[in-house]
Amino acid sequence: MNSMNSLKTTQTKPKTILLKKITLFIVFFHFLPTSYGQIIDGLSIGFESNSAWYNDDKKTGDFTDEANNDQDKHFRANNYLKIDYNFLSKFTASVQIESYEPFALINYSTNFEGTNLGTYSLHYKTVNLGATIGHFYEQFGSGLILRNWEDRQLGINNALFGGKVSYRLMDVVDLTALYGNHRVGFETSDGTIFGFNSEFELDSIFKWDETALNIGFSYVGREEKIDLENPNFEPITDAFSGRIDFSYRNFYSSVEYVTKSEDAIVQVNQISNDFIKPGNGFLLNTGYSKKGFGLDATFRRLENMSFYSDRKKSGNVFFENIINYTPGLTKQHDYLLTNIFVYQAQSAVSFLDPGLLKVGEIGGQLDLFYNLKKETLLGGKYGTKVAFNASYWAGLKGAFDYANQDYETDVFGFGEKYFSDISLEIRKKWNPKWRSIFYFVNQYYNKKEVEGIFGAKPIATNIGVVESTHKLGKGKSIRIEAQRLWSDTQDHDWIGGTFEFNLSSKISFYINDIYNNGNDTSTAKTHYYNMGGSYNKGATRIGLNYGRQRAGLVCVGGVCRFVPEATGLTASITMAF
Amino acid sequence: MNKIIVCALLIAGSISFAQELPSLTLKDLDGNNTDLNKLVEGENVFVFSFWATWCVPCINELDAISEVYEDWQDETKVRLIAIATDDTRTKKRIRPMVNGKGWEYLVLYDDNQDLKRALNITTLPHTIVLKNQKIIHRRTGYNPGVEDELYELIKNHSN
Repeated sequence: MNSMNSLKTTQTKPKTILLKKITLFIVFFHFLPTSYGQIIDGLSIGFESNSAWYNDDKKTGDFTDEANNDQDKHFRANNYLKIDYNFLSKFTASVQIESYEPFALINYSTNFEGTNLGTYSLHYKTVNLGATIGHFYEQFGSGLILRNWEDRQLGINNALFGGKVSYRLMDVVDLTALYGNHRVGFETSDGTIFGFNSEFELDSIFKWDETALNIGFSYVGREEKIDLENPNFEPITDAFSGRIDFSYRNFYSSVEYVTKSEDAIVQVNQISNDFIKPGNGFLLNTGYSKKGFGLDATFRRLENMSFYSDRKKSGNVFFENIINYTPGLTKQHDYLLTNIFVYQAQSAVSFLDPGLLKVGEIGGQLDLFYNLKKETLLGGKYGTKVAFNASYWAGLKGAFDYANQDYETDVFGFGEKYFSDISLEIRKKWNPKWRSIFYFVNQYYNKKEVEGIFGAKPIATNIGVVESTHKLGKGKSIRIEAQRLWSDTQDHDWIGGTFEFNLSSKISFYINDIYNNGNDTSTAKTHYYNMGGSYNKGATRIGLNYGRQRAGLVCVGGVCRFVPEATGLTASITMAF
Repeated sequence: MNKIIVCALLIAGSISFAQELPSLTLKDLDGNNTDLNKLVEGENVFVFSFWATWCVPCINELDAISEVYEDWQDETKVRLIAIATDDTRTKKRIRPMVNGKGWEYLVLYDDNQDLKRALNITTLPHTIVLKNQKIIHRRTGYNPGVEDELYELIKNHSN
């Protein structure tokens, strides 16, 4: 009880200051004279609240939060209030206030604690010049060398806190320089990031019409003090990226190469002074598309591309301190059963056991989109849309020396298979009221390699989904999904379904359930059901949901995080003004 | 925290303002820079639809509008701009998907979500309607049939 009280007192103070600031802000807007209209023209406000009441579940066990060592606080809420204000035509001030009370939703980093200013910045922009102080988000090229982003669903916010200047030269060259520390919870990283980016629009220089040609070059440095005696590596790690983007009429292609200088390998928060390696990444994309047809192919190879502002945070599950963005390049599926075995990019070196040696990944994916024309045999009266995707990922091939903690890799050698996924989607409109989607997926998931779990056998699955929407008129419609997953093991044999009823364009209800009839110890014979409703009006959305969440990977934007099982009532509110 | 929420709602409730677009430049599928405020000059109505290749309701909405888009344009000269918020993971699928589906919209990349963030959009799909460079309507989410309501609004604001 005492500890709770002391906790409360420590939290009240910043809150009061914060409230005072907000009150001032409101007063400022309410009592400003004549130019009121102009002043509020520049104001943009966003509010998001995600809260949950976790209950004890007879089937899956009592509520417990290991990260916060808590079994009592069943109610959790994450709230975000963001205010952007444009003034004097060239300035923008932004603040984001965040509140995690009494604790953040389970599965979030414990660094998100209490109520505080999350980000704040002042931005100045003219036609060619931009300057920011405070927190900012930046991406160089594809993000393989640097990306700062926010994902509230996953609890990611690695904004840089510092300064950034960008300049557009003669309408053909973009230059950016930045310096800062990562946001980590409500604190900042020990390590410092500095970077430079340049993009040249060569087609504009040469006045080409049908050809587009852009080249880019970036540098990112990370400096972090080393606490070791006689370190065999430098405090500063340098990364360089070179890129070319090309397109000619319907054909396009892009290539990127990234190198990272020698740095200590970090495994399970341990920095090795005798395992020092450089890293690199290669990305090639090419495609052809015209009306009714699209083809796209990507190849990528990553070797030791784990890159963090604080070395010891390498590979942390909350993606704190992460400098670069290496998403799993596979299709992001939309259905519950297609997202049970999800691939995560393997960019890091892992030499923890001679039976499980990883230094990176190699592979690619192919996408095909085709529109079967109206009034043809297969197209029917309304046409039929077909999408095909295939991806294949494997470990790098090479000579791995566990005893001496060293390796050599083959440039284009494929090692052990990690994952493959083949999917076909057919969208068909039958008549003005009925439309359907047919979806088929074949997956291979090497659990031992991807998740680092010994004894886990690879799983091969086939998944089928049928979805139909029926418009009833006056904004009413129903949507039904039926899903089935078959596997080559006794453990996974899933069935699932969804029923959705849209009462009007504003109100909808849904219920879904997935059930594993197999023997898998963690999921077998348990209904993972969810039901809820949502209300939309303008830019306001309110959602309410009750259900049981399956333990597994939650993925957004190619980044996945493992979440434990939980049952409860969740509410979400989003508003924008 | 409750007080903060109340404050926020107070601010928002007390003002019903017409917002402008932030001054941002986004790239189109061919890599050309597009200045948003220049793009929406003139008296016609503009619709900005925020979507992503992995967002099924977004695609349903853009597919549904695509079927009637020619009629909409003939009658109101409205222009729909599809803002693709995909990050690098799925960005490469945008171009073949747009062409594969035969969409006639201007598509702009917002791959590190600068515009999405500036307009405080948190949920997709999100639709913004502009007239005389000011935002006159916003909507989150898509249910079948919403496109008809959207068209009524566009017609009411077209000359």
